[in-house]
Amino acid sequence: MVTIHINGAPHEAPEPNRNLLSFIRFEAGLTGSKYGCGEGLCGACTVLVDGQALRACMSTVGTVAGGHITTIEGLADGDDLHPVQQAFVDESAMQCGYCIPGFIMTSVALLNREHYPDRRQIREALSQNMCRCGTYQRILNAVESAASNMAGGAQ
Amino acid sequence: MTDAAPPTATIDEPGLHITGEVALGFPPPPRTYRSVAYANTSPDVEHARWLTVRPDGTVVCYTGKVEYGQNIRTGLAIEVADELRVPLDAVEVVLGDTALVPWDMGTFGSQSTARVGLQLRKAAATARKALIEMGADRLDLPASDVTATDGRIASNADSSRSASYADLIASQTITNPIEDEIPLTPKSAFTVMGADHKRIDAIARVTGAAKYSQDITLDGMLFAAILRRPARAATLTSVDASIAERMPGVAHVVHDDDLVAVLADTDEHAAAAVNMLQSQWQENAPKVSTIDLPNILLESGHDPYLMQEAGDIDAGFASAANILEATYFIPYVSNAPMEPRAAVAAWDGNNLTVWAGTQRPFGIRQELAQRFDIPEPQVRVIAPEIGGGFGSKSPYPAAHEAARLARIAGVPVRVAYTRAEEMMYTSMRPAAVITIKSGFTADGKITAWQFDAYHAGDRPFLGRRGSDTPYDSPNIKVTTYTSDSPLATGSYRSLGAAANHFAREVHIDEIAATVAIDPVEFRLRNLSHARFRRVLETAADKHGWQAAAGSSGSGQGIAIGVDVGSYCATAVTLDVKGREVQVDHVTGSLDCGLVVNPEGAINQMEGSIVMGMGTALYEAIDFQDGRVLNAGFTRYRVPRSNDAPHIDTLLVGDPETPSTGAGEPGIVPIAAAIANAVYDRTGQRHRELPLHRYLK
Repeated sequence: MVTIHINGAPHEAPEPNRNLLSFIRFEAGLTGSKYGCGEGLCGACTVLVDGQALRACMSTVGTVAGGHITTIEGLADGDDLHPVQQAFVDESAMQCGYCIPGFIMTSVALLNREHYPDRRQIREALSQNMCRCGTYQRILNAVESAASNMAGGAQ
Repeated sequence: MTDAAPPTATIDEPGLHITGEVALGFPPPPRTYRSVAYANTSPDVEHARWLTVRPDGTVVCYTGKVEYGQNIRTGLAIEVADELRVPLDAVEVVLGDTALVPWDMGTFGSQSTARVGLQLRKAAATARKALIEMGADRLDLPASDVTATDGRIASNADSSRSASYADLIASQTITNPIEDEIPLTPKSAFTVMGADHKRIDAIARVTGAAKYSQDITLDGMLFAAILRRPARAATLTSVDASIAERMPGVAHVVHDDDLVAVLADTDEHAAAAVNMLQSQWQENAPKVSTIDLPNILLESGHDPYLMQEAGDIDAGFASAANILEATYFIPYVSNAPMEPRAAVAAWDGNNLTVWAGTQRPFGIRQELAQRFDIPEPQVRVIAPEIGGGFGSKSPYPAAHEAARLARIAGVPVRVAYTRAEEMMYTSMRPAAVITIKSGFTADGKITAWQFDAYHAGDRPFLGRRGSDTPYDSPNIKVTTYTSDSPLATGSYRSLGAAANHFAREVHIDEIAATVAIDPVEFRLRNLSHARFRRVLETAADKHGWQAAAGSSGSGQGIAIGVDVGSYCATAVTLDVKGREVQVDHVTGSLDCGLVVNPEGAINQMEGSIVMGMGTALYEAIDFQDGRVLNAGFTRYRVPRSNDAPHIDTLLVGDPETPSTGAGEPGIVPIAAAIANAVYDRTGQRHRELPLHRYLK
């Protein structure tokens, strides 16, 4: 039995080897983190563990025991969207939307560690994620805009 | 989420309901049309409900279309808001639930704005007319002296005298038929349409609230993992489940005819147990592989279809000053939507509810009703948000698999494809070989054009799309053939049009280089079609096209295309380093007539360009003996953010021209534009895709 915290709430996991993404989606009921490939290649399952990006599909509950996990559902403060979420809305950076939670989490992790990323850094960081609808230009614009709005880590 | 019973008709509820014809220009489903086609209306009512103004003044409209990224929810809401004179946020759009919406053939061919949008505008205009009459009565004025504005009917003379839609409807229940000839709002009076709008479903998409079929769970549900055949056309000869049955969490191992599956308490337990099934297979697929494909397509071509003919092609070549012949190859590519398909099925007696992210909820309803021999109204198919599809989610075997397993297990069952299943057991864009022979004068006029296209698969219309040439020539012969396909083929954005355009637009570039004329100038000399000329000229101009003959070294390329009635031109600038191509800048010019939602149209162009870039540069499905060898993203590369170009999109359609599709045209010229730009940069002329494999 291990305990993990997801969006501030403790969850008991009887099997430490349980796949983290499956646990988040089907035990914690937080389906915003998506299954896209199961191989850590598409980034749709990205969550934050203590502020850093992690591919939940390639992790187990045991590897994050004691850690604090943030999923897409835990990013907004009530009705107030996180600046990255707001920027995706403002730039219409989405089509089908399936990849978007993962992109947002990867972007938040980037902005946590790099407050003033340039366009090239954003492109490289987000190349860990896939959007098959091809909305990259909008996503890059959104992250650039969020970085500028957050102006050095005001989150 | 556990409501498995079909709901009853709801037009008895208070509100102003607008009903209308169901089939919208498509043929109704055979026989069953009159009895079951009506979805949200009771079966004996002639018309389906399209729109309701609720007692609180908000509006809900209904369509059997689905949302899989094309943003029709917002586009349709904009059209309704404009016609009904309500704010955009007062409009809700209900999509793709067979119990609630009018029958619909399916979401494909970029038809949503053109057909459903028009129907909903008529419904909204009909509702507005009724509200104006009610408001005039209430205000004791002639209908000509009142106006609908911002959810109210107000006196023209004194705008303080008004009544809101909510006040007018109150607790009444009114049902009016759509007036087919009702005057629609002219463009000059649009206030919502044509402006930029945020998606009305954007918040749900950035907060994780949007529910896709992969996200549906029901109480007591079991997770399925299905035993898949190792190769196409393999048949199961034996299976031993004795180990799998004892694996943790396993509830059942089902063996029902051709379907063998493990049902377990978690997806992980199901997947672990299905791997422990000991199975033996008879393999029946032809022993051929990727390398054999061009010959298979050429040699097996049958059922020639004469798509276009003018003049005398043989005489044209006999008198031609120059002749050029070339062969082009387009491999299989995978739709590879980000969401692998999933379905959850629940039975309540003989009533079946299935959540399935399909483009054809009514088609799947009909299939399920036939499979289980129950009336269609007892089957409810709900298409939640769909994580991409690009054509491939019209057939939806996961819905059948879930329904069969749930019937046997007696509890709800979830079938969710893995990435490998999604890329191995669904359909591919058909591969094609295209041969072109052209005759032309030294000063760059095409005098003979022979185009023979061999598209894989058994649906001939796929390969016909976009095979006819838009260029002027006195002698033309365009023939399409149906060729054997070693893999299952299916729909993909623009069907065969992208392959046909690749071959034609590269060949046009080759002629231009042969006669040493700039590619834009060459196209204009052979193109009298006004809409084509406009997209070509605007794209070249905005892109900063530098006229040059032959390979200039600068890395610019251009191509034109037409699909679903919309015209498109794409100019690109790129660089080539070894086998890596970096596309820096793309300018796309689109004429899709009247643009309802510019943001949506531009987003679709950008997406089509990036997706088409993948097919141009990286994407090809490899196979051997019926096995897909690269069903996953380790060996199937798709464009990522560090490949993404800067894209400028120009919307150049005439607003007086009716709306045509915006979701597909952008993909038809891009691969040729890239191949032409690679030639311009390097002098290497490539006639086979993807370029990454052939660049030297």
